[in-house]
Amino acid sequence: MAYQMHKISVLVVEDNLPMLEITKSLLLTFGVGHVITAQNGEIGYKRFCETNPDIVIADWMMRPVDGISLTRMIRTDHRSPNPYVPVILMTGFSEKRRVFQARDAGVTEFLVKPFNARDLYKRLVQVIERPRQFVKAEDFFGPDRRRRSRGPYDGPMRRETDFSNPLSREALMAQQEEAQKNLARIREQSGLKKGDKFELNINPNDIDMV
Amino acid sequence: MEAEQDKYPQHFNQAPRRRAEIIKPPNTLKAKVGSGGISEAILNKAQALLENNIVDFMPLAEMYLQNLMRAIETAQTNSDKLDTETLIAGMIYPAVQLKANGGMFHYPLVTTMADRLIQYLEVIVEADMDALEIVLAFHTTIRAVIMGRIIGTGGRHGQELLAALNDACMRYFERYPYNHSSYRLDYTEEF
Repeated sequence: MAYQMHKISVLVVEDNLPMLEITKSLLLTFGVGHVITAQNGEIGYKRFCETNPDIVIADWMMRPVDGISLTRMIRTDHRSPNPYVPVILMTGFSEKRRVFQARDAGVTEFLVKPFNARDLYKRLVQVIERPRQFVKAEDFFGPDRRRRSRGPYDGPMRRETDFSNPLSREALMAQQEEAQKNLARIREQSGLKKGDKFELNINPNDIDMV
Repeated sequence: MEAEQDKYPQHFNQAPRRRAEIIKPPNTLKAKVGSGGISEAILNKAQALLENNIVDFMPLAEMYLQNLMRAIETAQTNSDKLDTETLIAGMIYPAVQLKANGGMFHYPLVTTMADRLIQYLEVIVEADMDALEIVLAFHTTIRAVIMGRIIGTGGRHGQELLAALNDACMRYFERYPYNHSSYRLDYTEEF
């Protein structure tokens, strides 16, 4: 089973003709069904309104309308047929502040030039597999600028499915049981009941730990 | 007492909440393409197509170098009429084009040099005459690479040219540390 790329259309907006042709050829090699091209943001937006493509790939620096302005038009113009369309911005800029500038305009992904075939493919996979939720605020409309974290969970593990080895769950249960017993001993030695608060001024050496 | 509570906000020390609506658009793209990705064979074919392109970069590079030279001349003659940001932006744009397109059309050395030029232009505060001399040096060197059709990384000679440009930038910031945007002492690490 592979991606059915022939079912999608991509709009490429680039003022550098050889670059436009190369990007188009790469997309056709990937199997994209329909590649629409335009040589600046103004024509690009016109084509976008006419064809409503599934993905837009645009260069940053173009005249009279650049990639950032094109993205803003796609996101906010009332004529835009799909303000949620993924926009991949191609540029030679890689400085952080430039990336932030593009992100704040509503760009979905950033593709730094020069790029290779895999770089372009990775961005396509990203917009297909990890679409961004959109944020509509007073001063911003565009893809959520925060990446959803998929970092490791560092909280307590309690579910059976958290453990690939059932023995590790048993070890955790035994540890918790042991802690409960120790707590009960501390209460008993201090003469406290279960609901009573106690101050921790007890010397650990005085307690007979399990 | 209740009236007092109503009068004053309960969480006065918290940042005001911004009203933002979260929208989850339907993933029509995924529904169309399905899953499974693209095969390695297709990716290799696409990469081969990219590597074997026969586009002549020289006319394009000439155009960008002319734009860069015009921007240098504008900075040299109109420094009192135009603001620094406009002058520097005028030089950054052709440099970005050289960086972006060099590597796409078999001139990775041009990309590396133009990248260093962008780093330099992004941190200078004023486009003074000495700063512009450095930009001119980059222009001359990149032009030599294009005219000499030095494709690839340029080997040892290419690395020497790059090192010479780096040294020029370092010497400039040693002489004019206050013209570095962050006015940092560790600027030598960048160049």
